[in-house]
Amino acid sequence: MEELKTISDLAQLGGGVAIGFGAIGAGLGIGVATKGLMDAISRQPEVAGKAFGFFLLGAALAEACALYAFVIAAKLVGLM
Amino acid sequence: MSHGGHWVFNTVIGGHALSFNLDTIFTMWFAMTVVLLFAFIATRKLSIIPNKLQAISEALMRFFWGILDTMIPSDNRKHVPLVASLFLFILIANLMGQLPLRLIHLKSGELASPTNDLNLTAAMAVIVLVYYVFMGVKKKGPKFFLHELSFTGIIMGLVEVLEMVTRPLSLAIRLFANIFAGEILVTVMLGVCAYFLPLPIMLFELLVAFIQATVFMMLTIAYVSSATGDEH
Repeated sequence: MEELKTISDLAQLGGGVAIGFGAIGAGLGIGVATKGLMDAISRQPEVAGKAFGFFLLGAALAEACALYAFVIAAKLVGLM
Repeated sequence: MSHGGHWVFNTVIGGHALSFNLDTIFTMWFAMTVVLLFAFIATRKLSIIPNKLQAISEALMRFFWGILDTMIPSDNRKHVPLVASLFLFILIANLMGQLPLRLIHLKSGELASPTNDLNLTAAMAVIVLVYYVFMGVKKKGPKFFLHELSFTGIIMGLVEVLEMVTRPLSLAIRLFANIFAGEILVTVMLGVCAYFLPLPIMLFELLVAFIQATVFMMLTIAYVSSATGDEH
């Protein structure tokens, strides 16, 4: 197997690791947010519309954490 | 297509080397023109019985008032100018990323949404920082920085100084990364299958445009609220 030698090869690897670990956190966060939404709707179906708005906001905030990792990964891979 | 590449114009003004991203400046002025034209035309012929445009702008105003009333307890409607212009500008700027402006070829870079440039989002985040610090100092004076002269008070003051760095940073990078990641996602889907596969992603980007504009506005209001609100 060919060895990873240059800095840029290792940077590609680092970019993959960065976005991977970032996605774990965002996935957990959006999962918890969805669980909260489902709980709220099953308890009080009449607040579904209002709760969904807050869910979208929370999911966007959780997703932003993965996007911070994405920015780092893009820097490492050389997209930006 | 080179992502993140901009049409950079380097110059020296007064001994300082400056570089301008011309594509961002052009698209930013486009978005600003749209917002300004909307505001100008909507407020030109005001009447008791509103026409369509006036009804839309009244609904928008009621939307901002409603959010401000729920998030800031008192003296809240004076923040409408900043909040409304940030929301409308970011919304127009995000949405124009889906216009086929990329067909116009530039020397380098592309005409997409201006929010795919970190400089623009960072500038808006700094505006928000300056605004909420100014409002907090105006309301509380030096107590904005130091609530009480005790150990916990000093630690909390230091944490708030740290937040002055992290809040604009997260605001800027959140908006920038969402739009940038969306563009890269569309490009990747174009590479997989150019016909009809990017379409659902682009529709999702329309949703992201609304959500990110709302998130930026909500966080701005939350920061202003925490800066001007009473301590417990």
